[in-house]
This record gives sequence, C-alpha cells and structure tokens, in this order.
Amino acid sequence: MSQTVIDHPEGKEPGEGGLLRRVSLADTWEKEDLAYGQPVIVTVRWIMIVSALILAIWNVDSMADLRLQIIAILLLAVTNFYLQAQLLMKRPLSSSIVYAASAVDIAMISILVLFQGGYSSSIYVFYLPAIAAFAVAFPRGLTLLYTTIVILLYGLICLGTGYDHTDVIVSRLLMIVAVAYCGSLYLQLEHRRRTEAQEREEAFIDNISAARVEPA
Amino acid sequence: MKGLRTTEQEASEDIFFGQLVIIYARWFVVIAMTILALWTSTTLNQMVIGIVLIVPLIALNFFVHGRYLMEKPANRLLLIMLGILDATVITLIIAFWPGAKGLYSQFYVFYYPIILAFAFVFPGRLSIIYTIFVLLLYSAICVLFSPEFLADMTEVERLSIRLITIAATGMIGVYYYRIQRSRRRRIYAPDLTPAELAEV
Repeated sequence: MSQTVIDHPEGKEPGEGGLLRRVSLADTWEKEDLAYGQPVIVTVRWIMIVSALILAIWNVDSMADLRLQIIAILLLAVTNFYLQAQLLMKRPLSSSIVYAASAVDIAMISILVLFQGGYSSSIYVFYLPAIAAFAVAFPRGLTLLYTTIVILLYGLICLGTGYDHTDVIVSRLLMIVAVAYCGSLYLQLEHRRRTEAQEREEAFIDNISAARVEPA
Repeated sequence: MKGLRTTEQEASEDIFFGQLVIIYARWFVVIAMTILALWTSTTLNQMVIGIVLIVPLIALNFFVHGRYLMEKPANRLLLIMLGILDATVITLIIAFWPGAKGLYSQFYVFYYPIILAFAFVFPGRLSIIYTIFVLLLYSAICVLFSPEFLADMTEVERLSIRLITIAATGMIGVYYYRIQRSRRRRIYAPDLTPAELAEV
C-alpha cells in the first residue's frame, strides 16, 4: 500500500493524517532507501574493482601476489555483475544479500589493509566511499553497526601496526565516522522533506477534490 | 501539477535543509584538527600555527550553525564561499602543518566529509566543479611541497588511490543528490517520465 501511495498520491485514502501516517511514511522511505541506494553501492563497488585492478597491475611485487589479487578482484567483479544485472532487470535484491555483499566489501578492504602493512597501507581510504554509500542506503541502526565494525576492525589493525601514530589513527577514524554521520543525516533530512512534500501534495489533492464536489 | 514546484524552489530547499550536513561535516573536521593541534604540537609556535588555522573555521561554523538554529540559514553564495574556504584551509594545513608535508601529510583525509557534504547540497554540476577543484588543489600541493614522490611509482600510486577515492566520494554525493531529487519530484508529479524527472 505504501508503494502505491508514493507512485500515485491520488490513490491514497483521505483523512489518514497525523502521527500514524508519518510513521507509515517513515517506514516506506526506509524500505525505498535500500532500493534506491543499491545502484550507489554497486557503482562504488565498480569503482573499487577497477581501481584495485589498475593498482594491482601498476605495482607488481610478485607473480603469486598478482595472481591472488586478480582472483580476488575477478570474484568481486562477478558478484557485482550479478547484482548489477539484477538491478538492470529491475529485480530488487533481498536486503540480506545487499547487507552480506556490503559486509564482504568491508572484509575485503580490511584484509587488503592488513596485508599491506596495516597503518602504512593507503588502501584504507576505500572505507570512506564504501561507508558513504552504506550510509545513504541503510537504516540508521545498520549504518551505525557497519561503521562500528569498520572502526573496530581498522582501529585494531592500526593499533597493532602503527601504535606511534595514534593522532593520525584517531583523525582517520573520526573522518570515517564523519562520512557515516553526514550520509545518515542527509538521509534523515530527505525523509523529512519527502514526508512534508507528501503531506503538502495530499492536502493539495484534497483541496482540489473538495472544490470539484458540486453543490446538491 | 508539474508547475507546483520550480527548480529554483527546489534548489533553495536543498540549501535550506542540506546545509546542516555541511555544518556537521565541518564540526567533525574542526574536532579532528583540534585534537591533532593539541596532540602533535611540541612547541608553542606549532600550537599557535595550528590554532590560527582552526579558529577562523570554528568562528565561521558557529556563525553558520547559529543562523541555521535561528532559522536564518546561510545563502547559496555564502555556502559556496565557505566550501572553498574549507578546502583551502585543509590544503594549507597539508602544506604548512609542522611535520610531514604534501603527499606525506595525513590530513588529506579531511577532504572526504567536506566533499561529500557539499555534493549532497548543491546541484551536480557545481559539485563536480568543486570536486575537481579539490583534486587539482591537492595534486598541486603534493607536487609543490613533495616533488620527490614523482620519481617513486609507489608514491604516485598512493596519490592515485587518494584522488580516485576523493572523486568517488564526490560522485556518490552527486549521484545520490539526483536520486533524492527524482524521488521528491515523483511525489509532486507522478506522471513525469524518468527523463523529465532527471531534468535539472
């Protein structure tokens, strides 16, 4: 029903306003956010895949390393191609698949950071666009969960490999939190704007309908 | 119903609602800078340089945040100028903060939330220009203050990763801004085609 309300505002039941209506709209926005956010996540993953491929070929250390990197990148590419294909065919993915794929992204970045020396690895910057994409697609609670996992994972990796640079580590972690917070805040503001827009539009349609009623 | 909301109205609302994201992004950067200034300074001179760079940002953000709370938000031009100032201050810190400079400075990470917040608030074209401006600024400062990295392919790779991810962060903002605008327009004009919805 909620989806119908958004696609065709004139199809909604009149007089259903108030707090309950707002809660219902908020639920709808949250469900839609994931659907609209999926292309963003898939695009970010493509950027990560292409960059990883270029960087792997750019700076080859050994054949074995390159082979391993290529296999990992191709696996990620195949998975992302599947997700992209589903989106192109307008078949919405189940939320659990999206969440699992995003968790794999975080795990992949963390593994790469760990194998590249932890604190000294420059790969950690991939966390930032990844978290930004999650923040605009996931509900606030899940964004908080994913950000906390990243903070813990990367914090532990860094403390184990760059203990002398706590100041830099803190600023990096703070920026990861900043990106997550900004994405999530933007999402909340957009919910508010859409709710207000929906209410304005409904009031407008109600007024038109009332004006069309001919006197008896 | 198509004329119910004009593009100008939408842009004004984007600025009105979205500037809170920019304000919070700046607060995060200010907090991180302050922590670093207090933590890394070993002499009085270093701390003074740090504070001189940070205090104007704090003062400006208080002003903008205060106005927002009083429901007198900053206008488009002021926000653009502040966005340029943010990028400039971060670049100055990368160039002049005591210790590692240019490519070897770790302060480039402050660009990410600033670029993301800017892209959430302003139309795509302006955000793309801003992102390119930041990329050029950062590349220039790296070349000017640490030109030796150009001889080392590993360091060039390091710079490339940073530039790619900064650009990707800006792109996420631009992409999502368009998605949100299209969702709002669908409420007001459900009969419009996707191409019409995407129109600026």
